[in-house]
Amino acid sequence: MFTIETGSGFWNPIIWVAAMVIAFLVTYILRSFGNKSYKKNTEQTKVFLSGNPEYQKEKMHVKADNLYWGFTESLKGFYSLLKKVHTGNTGDYILWFVIILAIFFIVEVI
Amino acid sequence: MDMLELSEIALRVIIGTLCVAAFGIIFGLLYKGIDRKLSAHMQGRIGPPIIQPFRDVRKLFTKENVVPENAIPWIFNLVPMVGLVATISILIYLPIGGFPPIISWAGDLILILYLLLIPSLALVIGGFSSGSPYAIVGAQREMATMIAYEFPLAIVIITFAWKLGYKLNIANTFSLATIVGAPVWNNITGPLGFIGFAILLLVLVIVTPAELSKIPFDAPEAETEIAGGLLVEYSGRNLAMFYLTDGVKTVVMASIIVVLFFPYNISNMLGLESYPAYTVDILFYLLKVFLVILFSVTLIRVAIARLKIDQIVYTYWIPLTLMSLIGLILVMWDGTITSLLGLT
Repeated sequence: MFTIETGSGFWNPIIWVAAMVIAFLVTYILRSFGNKSYKKNTEQTKVFLSGNPEYQKEKMHVKADNLYWGFTESLKGFYSLLKKVHTGNTGDYILWFVIILAIFFIVEVI
Repeated sequence: MDMLELSEIALRVIIGTLCVAAFGIIFGLLYKGIDRKLSAHMQGRIGPPIIQPFRDVRKLFTKENVVPENAIPWIFNLVPMVGLVATISILIYLPIGGFPPIISWAGDLILILYLLLIPSLALVIGGFSSGSPYAIVGAQREMATMIAYEFPLAIVIITFAWKLGYKLNIANTFSLATIVGAPVWNNITGPLGFIGFAILLLVLVIVTPAELSKIPFDAPEAETEIAGGLLVEYSGRNLAMFYLTDGVKTVVMASIIVVLFFPYNISNMLGLESYPAYTVDILFYLLKVFLVILFSVTLIRVAIARLKIDQIVYTYWIPLTLMSLIGLILVMWDGTITSLLGLT
């Protein structure tokens, strides 16, 4: 009942949700044994910055594009090639599109 | 479906989830203790006692549960539980201790791959919600690591599906019951298939420490550099939840490798039946999980220093992706040498 089947695989979301609810109850009960108190509005709730002072919130912001640094740095040879091709000229992009279509066409004919 | 069948399923899900939760947490912490003890001995230290992780959790429960002033409190408190819940839910789809999965018909390997993402995403969301620059840097690194290791991991899974579905013509190729019923090593016809699956095993062993944020792939936490990264602001019972998630996920990842590559029981070979057979199979399963953890977590983290995030991405996207593709091609060519030589 309610099992989604693809022929290669299957999934029953109802069963998964039921299992998640039970696991959540177990986790919630387990967590409730822990100490829930802390001292609000004290030094304790300040962000840990290895002893450095905290500047304005806006200045402490970590840019989202840092996420891509690992990729751009490790594959910089590939990205430098892509940057050269990425001219911003629509005519160039249409030319690339036509070239790729031509390659597909030739491969199909062969 | 009648009421009797429905109530049987409900009972199975309730009791099964409770049992796997207890199993995952207890053995997760136990294996964590063994891992710490062994790695300490490998580094010439005495190390903590094996039960130290249990003491750590007990101590964390007594500590204050600080919510930083920059945090979004409800997300900050919720995600540690979400991570543990998702990890426990994976265990109900996995064959544990030589027994079939509790609900083998309700989920396959693709579902497990998706569920494996949830604990990592919980860490990422928890990091972002902390409002700490260290945690945000850690969360960004965790996201980059996730994107990096998913590619070779997906190729390993696809190879299994191709082998079972296309080559052996078996239905439900992503089903764990199907995979356990047709062990890969029994279905290879030549040396290429053996080498191919050995390469894929190696790839999965190297993916495991990244899934678990262990050295050398622990850049998202990197205590000496970003003071714990995503977990820097977590303390008390919230940190205990992430600690437990790590333990359970270690059992999950090791169990996946056992299921895919070593789904064998020894009770048949020993001619055992009933309870002695169950006992021997459970012990054998625990031994297999231990060996997988030893090779994929303990030995690697003792032998190699932490990689930078660009090195992690490079490792997974270039050498490991190429290795997994070579493994896939060798499995596809399995049997060609023997058929060329006329041995089949």
